[in-house]
Amino acid sequence: MANIREIRERIGSIKQILKITNAMYLMSSSKLKKARKSLEDTEPYFYKLQETIDSILEHTPHTRQFYFDRRTGIAEENRKKGYIVITADKGLCGSYNHNVLRFTEQELAAQSNLDNCKLFVMGQVGRIYFQNRRKDSVDSEFLYTTQNPTLYRAMEIAQLVISKFEDGELDEVYLIYTDMVNSNVMETRKLRLLPFERRHFGKAPDGTLKKLPKASFLPSPEVVMENIIPNYAKGVIYGAMVEAFCCEQQSRMTAMDAATNSAKDMIKELSLLYNRARQAAITQEITEVCGGAQSISD
Amino acid sequence: MARSFHLEIIATDRIFYKGECEHLVVTAIDGLVGIMAGHEPVVTTLPTGELKYMVDGKWRYAAISGGFIQVMPESSIILADNCELPEEIDIKRAQEARERAQERLRQKQSIKEYYQTQAALNRAINRLKVSKKHFK
Repeated sequence: MANIREIRERIGSIKQILKITNAMYLMSSSKLKKARKSLEDTEPYFYKLQETIDSILEHTPHTRQFYFDRRTGIAEENRKKGYIVITADKGLCGSYNHNVLRFTEQELAAQSNLDNCKLFVMGQVGRIYFQNRRKDSVDSEFLYTTQNPTLYRAMEIAQLVISKFEDGELDEVYLIYTDMVNSNVMETRKLRLLPFERRHFGKAPDGTLKKLPKASFLPSPEVVMENIIPNYAKGVIYGAMVEAFCCEQQSRMTAMDAATNSAKDMIKELSLLYNRARQAAITQEITEVCGGAQSISD
Repeated sequence: MARSFHLEIIATDRIFYKGECEHLVVTAIDGLVGIMAGHEPVVTTLPTGELKYMVDGKWRYAAISGGFIQVMPESSIILADNCELPEEIDIKRAQEARERAQERLRQKQSIKEYYQTQAALNRAINRLKVSKKHFK
């Protein structure tokens, strides 16, 4: 029979942990609500952005654009690839981080030349993971949190990768993040950010290309594109950040809910044990008292 | 009444305006551009600046920071980083932002930081200008 005091202490410590998991559950659910709202607020912008860029591209006759340049002259093993990986700032969110990290590892394992891969990791968990394993490929100056994504942060990241792309330091840029398919299904995804692909922008829902007159660009197509493409990259990055943040909160909520439930179950089981032990102790005491009394009366 | 066209102004955080409009004036890179119904298709980028559009014969104003506009004969779409009505602008905050940016410009900075600070300063000055002009 377990010691009564031991059981009591154990119940006490589980109760403490229960408080923490419960608080984290509540926090992540309120953060999720906020993140969802910001996702909803920005959605019209991104749909419109995509649509507009789409139609602008249809109106531009020349596709020989710098940002569309696939640099086919560079051999596969010499291509410098950059990966923006979005992870969480802390653990305690089920397999969320693990999935992203495993996906990234798989992606890297498929590369012919690892020295040309550069990792831009957002979030503490991923950064620490990759710094221990692939110190050379992690950009140590890329320090961004994934909490409360802001457009400003997305802009800084977009500027950074675009300038690296322009300087030839990177030939391809990918974005690895978790996408929320619906509130229960999450999927780790890879998205190509640069160079842009035409089909990237998709077609009209009915598959027809809108035939519209050619638009003119003020002051010149190059200047306009130079302004719009970073805008678009920023939009894509921001969208991914918000999606990933939503997923993180969602997985933390699920994980903490499970933890709270299992803590409650443990308390239930332990209090049963505790009551039994207590009852056994009382019974034993009574037996002892009765035995003692009997021996005296005899 | 002048012929109207459909105008959508969409900021990153909300739909700023969606509806009919008779006349639109935006600040493009090289100056003001006026747009009315039946304008030729044009795409241009918008730096930080002022925006005005006429609805039911009345001018409405807004401060806009960074974006672009796509003009079609019957509709126009503005996509902006940020768009605010004059009365929404927090003058105190804009003033603080301006001072902060001016302070930072006095420091030695990298070229990138310098551009960012300059952009921040532009935004703050534009906010103050628009709110001073149209909101008393």
